[in-house]
Amino acid sequence: MITLFDYELSSDCYQARLALAVLGLHYSRVDVEFYPGREHETEWFTELSPLQQLPVLRDEHTTLYDAQAILVYLAARHDATGTWLPRRDPVLVGEVTQWLGLSRALASSAGAARLHESLGHVTDVTAARARAHTLLRTLDEHLWFGEQEGRSWLCAADHPTIADLAVFPDVALSEEGGVSRIDYPAVRRWTDRVKRIDGFVPRSGLFPGGSAAAPWPR
Amino acid sequence: MPTPPCTDPVVLNLWHPLSAVAETAAGQDHTTTLLEEQIGYAWSPDAGARAWRTGATQHQLPTLVRYGYIWTSLGTPPKDLFSIPEYDEPDRRNMNASTIGVHVSAPRAIENFLDMAHFPFVHTDVLGSEPHTEVVEYDVDVSAERDEVLATRCRMFQPKASASSSAGAEVEYVYRVPHPYCSILYKTSGDDPGRKDVIAVFLQPVDQEHVRAHLLLSVLDDAHEDKEIRNFQQSIFGQDKPILENQFPKRLPLDPRSETPIRADKSAVAYRRWLSGKGITYGVIPAGR
Amino acid sequence: MTRTQPGLPGRAWHPVASSADVVLRHVFQGRLLGRELAVWRADDGYVNVWENRCLHRGVRLSIAVNDGRELKCQYHGWRYSNRTAECTYIPAHPADAPARTICNRTFPVVERHGLVWTTLEHDRPEDLPVLPERGSQLPLRAVTVAAPAADVVGALRSYDADDDLRLASESDLLLRFDGASGPGLTLLVQPSDATTCVVRGVLHGVDEADPDVSRLTLLRLHNRALNRLRARVESEVGPLEPGNDEPELELVPEELAELPPATRPGRSASLRVRVERKWSAGVDVAGFALAPLTGHLPVAQPGAHVDVHLPNGCVRQYSVVNAPGEDDRYVLGVKREPESRGGSACLHDTVREGDVLALSEPRNNFPLRRDAEHTLLVAGGIGVTPLLAMAQTLAHHGLDHELHYFAQTEDHLAFHDRLAALGDSVRRHCGLDVAATTARLREILAGHAPGRQVYLCGPGPMIEAAREIAAECGWPVEKVHFEYFQNGQEIDKDSSFEVDLARSCLTVQVPPGQTILEAVREAGVTMPSSCEQGACGTCIARVIEGEPVHQDVYLNEAEKASGEAIMTCVSRSASPRLVLDL
Repeated sequence: MITLFDYELSSDCYQARLALAVLGLHYSRVDVEFYPGREHETEWFTELSPLQQLPVLRDEHTTLYDAQAILVYLAARHDATGTWLPRRDPVLVGEVTQWLGLSRALASSAGAARLHESLGHVTDVTAARARAHTLLRTLDEHLWFGEQEGRSWLCAADHPTIADLAVFPDVALSEEGGVSRIDYPAVRRWTDRVKRIDGFVPRSGLFPGGSAAAPWPR
Repeated sequence: MPTPPCTDPVVLNLWHPLSAVAETAAGQDHTTTLLEEQIGYAWSPDAGARAWRTGATQHQLPTLVRYGYIWTSLGTPPKDLFSIPEYDEPDRRNMNASTIGVHVSAPRAIENFLDMAHFPFVHTDVLGSEPHTEVVEYDVDVSAERDEVLATRCRMFQPKASASSSAGAEVEYVYRVPHPYCSILYKTSGDDPGRKDVIAVFLQPVDQEHVRAHLLLSVLDDAHEDKEIRNFQQSIFGQDKPILENQFPKRLPLDPRSETPIRADKSAVAYRRWLSGKGITYGVIPAGR
Repeated sequence: MTRTQPGLPGRAWHPVASSADVVLRHVFQGRLLGRELAVWRADDGYVNVWENRCLHRGVRLSIAVNDGRELKCQYHGWRYSNRTAECTYIPAHPADAPARTICNRTFPVVERHGLVWTTLEHDRPEDLPVLPERGSQLPLRAVTVAAPAADVVGALRSYDADDDLRLASESDLLLRFDGASGPGLTLLVQPSDATTCVVRGVLHGVDEADPDVSRLTLLRLHNRALNRLRARVESEVGPLEPGNDEPELELVPEELAELPPATRPGRSASLRVRVERKWSAGVDVAGFALAPLTGHLPVAQPGAHVDVHLPNGCVRQYSVVNAPGEDDRYVLGVKREPESRGGSACLHDTVREGDVLALSEPRNNFPLRRDAEHTLLVAGGIGVTPLLAMAQTLAHHGLDHELHYFAQTEDHLAFHDRLAALGDSVRRHCGLDVAATTARLREILAGHAPGRQVYLCGPGPMIEAAREIAAECGWPVEKVHFEYFQNGQEIDKDSSFEVDLARSCLTVQVPPGQTILEAVREAGVTMPSSCEQGACGTCIARVIEGEPVHQDVYLNEAEKASGEAIMTCVSRSASPRLVLDL
């Protein structure tokens, strides 16, 4: 049985929920109140997650406390299709890992700006936003050229990977931190595509995506 | 271009919330922004609350502690705050669900709080669901005596009306706006249909286009932990937040011709007129500008 | 209301997106001269450029759902139509047809050279620059630069992607480069606001067959050059306060600012359409596709009808069959009536493809609620037309429904293609006699439950029977909606009485032989009407005092008994005086 120690409004937790959902895994949730309860700083939680990070995933005898580690583990362990983490393809493994890195960089920039705006966390918000824009610009360029090459996802595969799930939350929520996506049209199209992934679950703060195009009846 | 600091006498003379007492470490100095000014505040069980303008003078400000929050004013406030009699009922659980910053004016946030028609679309499968989208006729009154907007007989179908309900039901609401930046809603309690849960939003105007939204819960619920009840409200508020942040203009336009109301917006129409009548200029675009 | 920025040249039309940006089922967020735009392509290919703001509560439409036919606002689910941006549905009031005047602000659109162009100014002629069209055109990746347009234009003069390019000309935020041996290039600066602009480039004369220079190589080459340019300009200009030039917002029309619904237009024929196609849609049924001579047609909501003004002087009402988002023409189905008074015969025998007809704007007196858990649509014969529009809408919204279609034979079923597209929700009932029809109606209507609604349209006797059966089955009258083709009753016009028009402060006499509608119009009061035989509901008036004699087939029994409203074209008075809210 999988257990997720979860806080609804955390984008790292949302990465884990997305992965569990698209993999069709059943799991139980334990609410850890990040705000205002600061439950992640309690002794019992620190025991699970020494760095007091959310989310935490427990699967039988394994306990993991890092969002990207959780995605890698879930895909490696529970994805029968082998597409979410294409382990046999060294290029794709490299690409996935690179985007997981970008997702961390987004958490410390776009994510930090969001926490500053909504919960008043102390941060240099101007610097955080500037960094987020640099990352989004890079992402937009990558995705735009991807479209030119007929690619829809972050990695050079014809299907989404955990990289898309890891990068999506902080991108899709960036505007809550005052980071507009108006200048990143390819990123905006990609977020629409992510919302249409089979099994996608929304979260508070994200709008539903609507369905993909069907033939126009005449 | 920075917006000028508040010169609106109506708003300066109001009480404004600064922080939930439960989230204010006792005996320490804290700072926050109110009406574009930096305000210091402190609280302790013995000394109560204090607030001051930061800077050289440390000018002391009036304070109140009500409904679990520290309130202050930058002008000459009335003696007391509006009343929420239910708050003092002994079997209620009172708590701050969250204090969250939102990039919107206070009046836009109040209007959203008064609105039921968005439930099926914004709070899908929680406070509303398609196709149950109709907002039936309800009553709106502006009480001259109490100087507040009151909406009654408000009914809406809800698939999951609160943390303590799992089935769908028509829920009845009453909304009060006793303060330009504060609103209170009463909704049928899942535990005791004869009584009502109270949810209030107190908006701290950081500037004309930013607020800190303090969300007070005063509920009848024996089944859930505090954090479950808060979590439910936080996720509801998290759904409204991006709507509010995507409204344009961010200040509430009071000219009746700037937006298109329908019958379901009766309470919002009354609220806008009430603000106009008070001559409020902060956080709004006054008519005729 | 548009402002041009000081120091900017006067070209009104600007590119705001590339065609490839505007993919299906997506809403592109754009910006021009400080104004945000929602740009979206409907499934039929049409690109819409709208103010990025729902006129109800100001929420950005770039976060709306593009369902291929309409935009659905995220806040309250209001739906806005492809092309005209008219509001087609307000979920908070499912029983009401939205006033035609609820319409978001649209801007003119031209899609050319791989770019989407618009102008914020009204009635400006298309002053699009003409780009060379030799060889194939290749739009570059647009690059946003945080600098005023003039600085960007200045920097672009020394654009250095390729030694092959020479600046040939410059005007109006446009720089044209000739390629000495390779493709030429046009660079356009889109002024987003006072401190931001977007550089859009189009390569022309790209030799697709050249294996040495691939498309991607060219795109990357120019993207690198534009990125270099952006970095240089931004560091020269330094950090700027974001453009704070909030555009002035246009006020909504007076009638939309108040809560009561807007008044409806009279029996006018403001639309001119051309018969684009006429075909046999079933036995004795002619299908007509009517396209506008210029501009766009107002949206016909499901259940709406138009008055068709015929060459022989007759005016007839026909329901519009269109599905949501099918906005480029009206589709009507006209049955040849054996006792035609000149309407259907004229349309069948005289009107041909290419003919021009005058139409009224569509009116919806038979609006479709979309808040039912299950909707029954029961059609007899050509009564299928409004119900077909409804069924297509319900299907598009994914709402549970059944369309029961009674006809003489299979061949009499009209609009086969549309019925087929609706699939299993269509139940065909052919060749039933009166008794069998009654029995079948009884089966269909037996399933009354809360959350269900029924819509009836067909010949008078069938509607009568269905309404009776529905009542027997326990359907409350407010859940049984119906529309008659015509009023089969004998209309008594013999009485005389007085009518007070409360709002106009007028009293008029209605003598025998004249209708209230005629008397009111004679007194100079404008009054909308359509069928003028008590069937369509357009000329409805509220009764303040008096005892009406209804004679119409629009109101249901409860509405008639309440005496609160009348159809001024046929209703009369039993009391000597009627007071109307007119």
